[in-house]
Amino acid sequence: MTVDALALNNALIEDYLKRFVQEELHTSGFTEACIALSGGLDSALVLKLAVDALGVGHVHAIFLPYKASSAESRWDARTMFEFCGTPWQELDITSMADAYIALQPGIDRLRTGNLLARLRMAVIFDQSKKENALVVGTSNKSELLVGYSTWYGDMACGLMPIGDLYKTQVRSLARHLGLPQQVIAKPPSADLWAGQTDEGEIGVSYETLDQVLFLLVDQRCSSAEVISEGFDADLVQQVERKVQSSQFKRVPPLIAKLSQRTVGIDFLYPRDWGK
Amino acid sequence: MTYTVALAQVNPACGDLEYNVEMHVTQTEQALDVGADLIVFPELSLTGYMLKDQTLDVMRPADCPEFARLRELSRHIAICAGFVEQGADGIPYNSAFFMDAGEVRHVHRKMYLPTHGMFEELRFFGRGGELSIFDTRFGRTGIVICRDLFHPLEVSTMAALGVELLLAPSAMPARGFGGEELAIEQTVGLALGSASTFLGMFVVYVNRVGFDDGLGFYGGSALSDPVGGITVSAPRFEAVQLLGTVDTSHIARRRYQLPIRREEDLAIVRRALEMRRNS
Repeated sequence: MTVDALALNNALIEDYLKRFVQEELHTSGFTEACIALSGGLDSALVLKLAVDALGVGHVHAIFLPYKASSAESRWDARTMFEFCGTPWQELDITSMADAYIALQPGIDRLRTGNLLARLRMAVIFDQSKKENALVVGTSNKSELLVGYSTWYGDMACGLMPIGDLYKTQVRSLARHLGLPQQVIAKPPSADLWAGQTDEGEIGVSYETLDQVLFLLVDQRCSSAEVISEGFDADLVQQVERKVQSSQFKRVPPLIAKLSQRTVGIDFLYPRDWGK
Repeated sequence: MTYTVALAQVNPACGDLEYNVEMHVTQTEQALDVGADLIVFPELSLTGYMLKDQTLDVMRPADCPEFARLRELSRHIAICAGFVEQGADGIPYNSAFFMDAGEVRHVHRKMYLPTHGMFEELRFFGRGGELSIFDTRFGRTGIVICRDLFHPLEVSTMAALGVELLLAPSAMPARGFGGEELAIEQTVGLALGSASTFLGMFVVYVNRVGFDDGLGFYGGSALSDPVGGITVSAPRFEAVQLLGTVDTSHIARRRYQLPIRREEDLAIVRRALEMRRNS
């Protein structure tokens, strides 16, 4: 089963997203962008869009490996730096991560993964201050919807240019932009331990996941309707649960309303108010 | 009669009245320089779209001092622009004014304020309750703001009541990136084609560009001619000012060829509504 509606006009999207990055960054009062490069496809695509939108001299990309990061990640990140013409920057987070991990005997893989994501967040935000830049995020719609991302970790940023593109659409746009084949073809991975892949973790291929999400979210189909389209019942219900249980990551924190005007409830302004 | 209309496909700054007035003055002077008789700006062109609680800060009556330079310019060129109108009742309305001969000749209050999905207009604006039909030196003129254009009953009624020139200031966000053109462009194309082809009206559709809080407006402003179809078509996403020519003889010619307006009998609609009310 395929859902043709996932196909996009990539030339139109490329034009639109470059304008989005350029205008929203400038409206926020910045001329510079800061991007954490992982060696994966999402950050590679965002780097390419940002460089095309802002010019190579205005994009500060940095590779933030941990000791368990794979050699391929470094190689792929380096390829992308070269592809975009951005100067290589690397900051190894092993010593800062291990300083904390040493204090936490028995820390598991999930906690370690979240810790690394949040340390990278701390570093990229500090770098952005140094460069007077806005942090541009690399989350895609598939991971945002199923919550396969770290709250206040890799989700923390000022703009998400590809946040409304499913992973399969990200691949398609990357092909359109001519990104190196090795970056497009590699299995998506958070790269927290050897052999880890997104699809192994989430339990389904992105091709299938994106079609289920498209039907549930964009088409507002019920899970029964999605199952009747031929998708596995357990999978559909599992995806629906993931979307619901990760909702907290996609909204600002709850505030106890007391006054006549409460932040986030009835104190309502656009993000770039007054700029 | 022929006259020239300027379609000002601009990118207003959200909440910055001063900047936007200046931009309107510049655009209007530019149109005047090239001999335009009328300039049309997008919806909420003087304030920006995603105002939220800034609505209270930027609302003004149409004859406010801030718009004085535009009223002055309208001695030489008619101006239709979007703003947040402070009604005499104190309510903010999503409105568009028509200035000519140095004064505000008409103000249209948007009737249909989308409040669903990404839209939340009724949260901040009052609802207009009247069709805008008024006589100008360009003939009988009407204004619809953005979503109003998608209500065929109202547009048809305006045509039946004699409107020949329909001004459609808009702020339509881009969405539907699957095809050769955006899905919203196809929808707008149907509305423009319907108003010109069936109802014999010229439609000046002016949509804004730029982003407000992640919403991107696609532009694609157009002049829809009852005989010639889309005679002016602005690019997507780019701020531009384009000129189009209105030849009013096309209205009668189209309405003779396809006499929908001559056939139109609003009494049928009125009887249906009365029967429904009484049943």
